[in-house]
Amino acid sequence: MGLVQREMEAAGFSTISLSPMPEWTAAAGVPRIAAIEHPFGQTIGRPGDVAGQTAVLRATLAALAEIEEPGTIRHLPFRWTGPEPEEGPAPPIVELISRRPWLYRKLLAGDIPAA
Amino acid sequence: MGDEVDSYRFTSRATTRIARAWIKREADPARLIPWTPLTKPLSESTIALISSAGVALKEDRPFDQQGERQNPWRGDPSFRVASNQTTTEDIQVGHLHINKRYAEQDMNSVFPIQRLGELAEQGEMGRAAAEHYSIMGYILDPTELLRETVPQIIAGLRAGEVDGVVLVPV
Repeated sequence: MGLVQREMEAAGFSTISLSPMPEWTAAAGVPRIAAIEHPFGQTIGRPGDVAGQTAVLRATLAALAEIEEPGTIRHLPFRWTGPEPEEGPAPPIVELISRRPWLYRKLLAGDIPAA
Repeated sequence: MGDEVDSYRFTSRATTRIARAWIKREADPARLIPWTPLTKPLSESTIALISSAGVALKEDRPFDQQGERQNPWRGDPSFRVASNQTTTEDIQVGHLHINKRYAEQDMNSVFPIQRLGELAEQGEMGRAAAEHYSIMGYILDPTELLRETVPQIIAGLRAGEVDGVVLVPV
């Protein structure tokens, strides 16, 4: 998403990522990040938590309007109050690597086999 | 617990290790950061959302999960369009790297279209864009995403006279 954000900003839109992994998002060189300590799959907030979701989106929009320095990360003050998230089923790449452990090195190195 | 967000609060040890390796490779302090300031106040701006949760309308083609099962190195790099009227009942989620249950229960957890509409109605921002976009975030090689998908989304943002974009990675 970091690379996508860069393209959009370069195309003339003001952009911000609401990122649960700000270190990774920032590594792409993006203009604005609102960092949020929420679990994957619930970036905005818990299902049905309208007030919480609204507060997070409002804070993100404020950061979009207020950040003046390219590359700024604004750490949002929200903390996760919901239950510990449940993991989904293991994705295909994890199953593949458990069958062929030597491929882990390729994934770590970003050495992605051509299709 | 500090004031800063911990990027690894919810990641497994294996994921943390992969993330740190990719971050080390991708980070380039010398790279120029693109910059487009918001030229209007938020209260006059049109905002669009981009979610990487793999959200497609039920009437639309789902994100291709079978292809990724066949080749786990390649996620579907296409995109889908939602409208500012889209609700949780209208959507399906195709993403093999998140627990989809939360998004299926309430789309706004990953794609806050209703929340954005409410903020616009309350006058906190100008307008919600007519169209919002979703991609599926597990893309190890971004070539096709950047070459095919992103230009089409950018064309949609232009046509919708969008000023600001909120990207929601999951």
